[in-house]
Amino acid sequence: MAEISDPLLTSTSDSQNSEPEFDQDTMRKTKPGLKRFALTLTVLLSFLLGLPLLLKSVEIYRSPLPFREIDELSAAIESDTVLFPCRFRAVFVDFGGSVFTANELSLSIESDVRKLATRGYTSCGACSYNTSVSVTLDSGSDCVHSGSDLNWKCGKLKNDESFGKYDDELLDDYLRSLLDDNGGSSNGGKVYSVIVVRTEEEEEVRAVVGKYRHAWIIGKVSKEEALKKVAEIFVKVFVNGGKDEGSISGEFMPVGADGRIVLSFNLLNADPRDWHYDWDFQAVDDNLLAPIIEALKPLAEFRVESQVLYHTPKSSFSYWDDKMGSHIFSTNDLPFFVNSNEWHLDTSAAAGGRSKILHFVVYVPSSTECPLLLKLPNGEISATNGFISPMWGSVIVWNPSACLKDAELEPHVRHKIPPEDLRKIFEVFTGQLRQLFGLKSRGFFGDALGTSRLLTSDRGFTEWELDMLSRQHTCFNLLQCGTTLGSLSRLVQSLPRMIIKDEIGKQVKYSLEAARLALSNVSNGVYDASAVSSRQARSFAEDAFYHPSMMSVSYYSFEHCFAVYSPFFLPVSLHVLLAALREWKRYKQESKKYHAWRAISK
Amino acid sequence: MSLFKSNFLLFLVLLFTTTACVSIAADELNEEFTEALLLRPLPDRKVLAHFHFQSSVPPTPSYGRHHHIFPKSIYQLVHKFQVREMELSFTQGRWNYERWGGYDPISSGNAKPPGVELWADFDVPGNQVDDSWKNLTHALSGLFCASINFLEHSTTYSAPQWNFRSFSGKLRYGTLPREAVCTENLTPWLKLLPCRDKGGLSALMDRPSIYRGYYHSQRLHLKSDEFDTSKSSSGIVLEQTLTVVLQPNSLGTGETLSGKMLQPSWSLDSLFGRKVRGKCSLSKSSNVYVQFEQNLVSELKNLWKSEESTSEILIHEGFQKNPIFEMPSSPKRVIKEVKNLRTGESILYEFSVEDYDEYEQFDVGLRWKMPVIWSSQQAPLRASRFLMGSGNERGAIAISLKSSGSNIVQRAGREGKECRLRVDIFQVVPWYVKVYYHTLEVFVDGHLQSTIDNIEKIRVSPSEDKVSPGLMEVVLGLPCSVKSAALTLEFDKGFLHIDEYPPDANQGFDIPSAIVSFADFQTNMSFDDVSLKSLPILSKLQERSQVLSYTEVLLVPLTTPDFSMPYNVITITCTVFALYFGSLLNALRRRVGEEERLLNRKAGNKTGPLALMLSKLSAKLRGRPWEPPEPPSSTQSNSNYKLIAKVVLVAGVAAAWQFYFNTS
Repeated sequence: MAEISDPLLTSTSDSQNSEPEFDQDTMRKTKPGLKRFALTLTVLLSFLLGLPLLLKSVEIYRSPLPFREIDELSAAIESDTVLFPCRFRAVFVDFGGSVFTANELSLSIESDVRKLATRGYTSCGACSYNTSVSVTLDSGSDCVHSGSDLNWKCGKLKNDESFGKYDDELLDDYLRSLLDDNGGSSNGGKVYSVIVVRTEEEEEVRAVVGKYRHAWIIGKVSKEEALKKVAEIFVKVFVNGGKDEGSISGEFMPVGADGRIVLSFNLLNADPRDWHYDWDFQAVDDNLLAPIIEALKPLAEFRVESQVLYHTPKSSFSYWDDKMGSHIFSTNDLPFFVNSNEWHLDTSAAAGGRSKILHFVVYVPSSTECPLLLKLPNGEISATNGFISPMWGSVIVWNPSACLKDAELEPHVRHKIPPEDLRKIFEVFTGQLRQLFGLKSRGFFGDALGTSRLLTSDRGFTEWELDMLSRQHTCFNLLQCGTTLGSLSRLVQSLPRMIIKDEIGKQVKYSLEAARLALSNVSNGVYDASAVSSRQARSFAEDAFYHPSMMSVSYYSFEHCFAVYSPFFLPVSLHVLLAALREWKRYKQESKKYHAWRAISK
Repeated sequence: MSLFKSNFLLFLVLLFTTTACVSIAADELNEEFTEALLLRPLPDRKVLAHFHFQSSVPPTPSYGRHHHIFPKSIYQLVHKFQVREMELSFTQGRWNYERWGGYDPISSGNAKPPGVELWADFDVPGNQVDDSWKNLTHALSGLFCASINFLEHSTTYSAPQWNFRSFSGKLRYGTLPREAVCTENLTPWLKLLPCRDKGGLSALMDRPSIYRGYYHSQRLHLKSDEFDTSKSSSGIVLEQTLTVVLQPNSLGTGETLSGKMLQPSWSLDSLFGRKVRGKCSLSKSSNVYVQFEQNLVSELKNLWKSEESTSEILIHEGFQKNPIFEMPSSPKRVIKEVKNLRTGESILYEFSVEDYDEYEQFDVGLRWKMPVIWSSQQAPLRASRFLMGSGNERGAIAISLKSSGSNIVQRAGREGKECRLRVDIFQVVPWYVKVYYHTLEVFVDGHLQSTIDNIEKIRVSPSEDKVSPGLMEVVLGLPCSVKSAALTLEFDKGFLHIDEYPPDANQGFDIPSAIVSFADFQTNMSFDDVSLKSLPILSKLQERSQVLSYTEVLLVPLTTPDFSMPYNVITITCTVFALYFGSLLNALRRRVGEEERLLNRKAGNKTGPLALMLSKLSAKLRGRPWEPPEPPSSTQSNSNYKLIAKVVLVAGVAAAWQFYFNTS
């Protein structure tokens, strides 16, 4: 007030006794005061300073995610495909030669292997081919090695009288004892071997891949041919699992995101009014399924369920074929075979979360459509009478003997599927399971250089196949983990106002750790451990991505924030800004007045 | 000698029974499924249809994990959550105890409160029971497409100690009174049956006719002793029932005979609109029963007094030609209840579906030829519950028990010296209805009685806000001659947090049904034929069960806030703050001296033209020379003048307003 009253006093006193050119409207004699201007400016500034504090206080909690490391991991996985170290060795029996020839052979096999590898045989989970191939030449009395770490029982095969009498299965076991394979668990990956035996007795050349990690070629075979064949077995069979081009690629590995698979076996009686069948599943589970599941343990956690359902017709029609004397269902209609309305297969309390359920269905047709046969596109009748649907499972049509014999079955009585039929059904199921995992279901592998026979294990999966699966599984798990974490980081970065709980941060951290462990295990060639840790990595990544708090609508939007705070800040900021502006204007005006007076008074 | 003989006989009998037991045990080691349908004409021209399906599986250690009939999902459920016993019911409509009976096995076992009721007894350590319950609710809500998972929260379920079945303390009980029940719940329930609704008696379940009924209750009860270590375990028994009360279609309705209305005639076809095409091929037995309840039977006897052996005719061949009613097909057999003192005898006509198929379809019906009037058997006391008080602040719950007029109570009382009628009441109240349990008052025949005299046992666990509901278990001992009794409890209505209100909060909040049971009264049917025990529905009817009834669900209106309130509050507060802030800033910036100076200058420069003229005029009139008026006085008069003008204007507007509205 003093500031105002002062000029007022002076002006009133001045107006009476000062010179007449002083105009009150355009001049003033005192300097304009800065008090009010400073005040409004302080308020404005304190508002501006308070703004970050406010924003900080309304900030939502976001656990810091290691974005850089995620990017590094996905770059590491995506840039160069995950390659495992594998070791190859070849044993040539009765080929003669010296150390020099052994080294020469080794080099030539290596070059063949690389040539094949560059022709598109490097898929995810393949072997890296820069390890050397060790070659042993066994001439009966002494052996020549190109490497040092070989333990081939020298000369034994040559001297064994009974060698020619073994059949393939026995020979497989015999060769295993000769190779003295200590499980291949030594550092640097598994060891795969091919034994080439030259005999004059047999004209044709036989190539057999055994149940373990070796194959053999017997016959009158030239050196060049043998080398090519050896390289081919290494690359196409041991590393790539002898896959055809048409088979399911490994990306469709039917393993749930949490590393679990539920095998759900269903027996569907299309119409129980005609007949209904039961099976002795307990025995099948104990005798046939248990070894397979034991073998597949490193890949995933398995669980087996079974049920029998009734009144479950298929959803498409078949037609009667007089020539066959049966009902024919053509392959074109297969998509309409599974009747999702009536087949209630999917209720499983055991498969919680993101487990994968594979359905195996035995379909018993009703009397009006019995016997039911599936027709292949080439006009032949399917030998297995079943089909698979990738990632869903498989279906087998089983025709009860009653409908063939046209015998009258007593209705309302429970029949059992005969054990030999059940055995056949489960053999087909095993083959279908192999197919679902992307393996061949036939025991042959053929290409330009003739066919080789693949021995089958009674566990369904041979050792080298399991190796291949676990390599692939690791690779795809890591890829999946990388992409999941990548999309998580992209999502989090694109939504800056999304709440991220500490738990998610932790899961991401664990996932990254497990992925790193898996990668280091891969480079050390520890297959099983890398499969386990890669599964963990993927499971943690998926847990983080599908965390309930991420799914919820707790996304606190900026619009909401604006709507809550604008009723206060909009009017107040208008006041403050206008006041500051006015004071600034007034100060400028007043100081102009003062300057005008100063100019006159001078 | 005679002693020896009798001993020998005893030995023989023992031998036979043991061998029989062994052979039964060998037979029993298999899964079983049975289906049955019980139909009963009701006094109020309706028909009760009670479907009963039972599947059982022997215990896992001796039978294995593979089943050909028992539903996989239920088996997994039992094993995952270690359920010892569980009952889940979905109900629509309310069982009319007065008309449809309250004193028979079906009404006390299958009359359920509206919505969902779930209770489960677990075989886990005491501290894991709640977790098991929560997981079970989620699993069931997935299985039955219902929001049973709302029972997960601890405010929605309670742990009864002794009044509701359990003594183990591992039982949990929860209800959802507002759950709507429809086909999406029935379909998964049917999936548990081996034939679903594709064959057998369940083929009758035509959705429109079932849901058109007056009462609809689908129930699932399972009992397992899988986890008992004792050898005598019987595996898992899953019992599924569907109870519907239907109004028969106009098959002869309105027909009168000598002035009295005939009971409507019906058949399966007319009730459900479908026919049975043979039994479910997996079921062991498949029967349809038509039941005449006790009072109806005695009424029929009265009507037919002229004849000598009425009951004989009701049972034997003559029944086709009797003058009162007619059945199109004759029953396979007639099962007569053993006469007992308390209740009369009821009659079951059994029809078997086994021999029918696609071409020869099965139908059962009943056609009345004479008007019959009877009433169902009642529970000793009829329970109802209502709210008292008004307003949104407080109120009272009253449970009233009225004597149903039947003479069962007196008969029961004759045995003891001082006759007391025991009534068990089980009541769960949500936490936002804050019940003051000390205000419990008991009225007997309209007079206030001391609570100590009439309450034999009571357990109260008061509600805890947002944690647990209130639970009251009472055993009342009323004199047998009681005509009416009432229990009142006062309560305050609580406030909920804004985000705890359900959608459509203005509808009100439900207090679940109370359960009133009469421990002294057991209901069962007894047949003299022992072989009938092997049929699950008949053995279920023969099982002794407590007479119990559910009261109505209460609807309590709570004060509901305006749900846009938070935003309104924010806006108003912010506006007030903004106004305050703005005026404060303006006051700080104000230059009082300068404003005064400007005002003065303005006042000096000009006065109003009217005032100027007036002053000039007055000067002329007075003959004095005109001089400019004094500024302060002029402003004074000016403002006065303005004030007057304003008042006049307002008054004018008001008068015009008044006038306009009066005329129009």
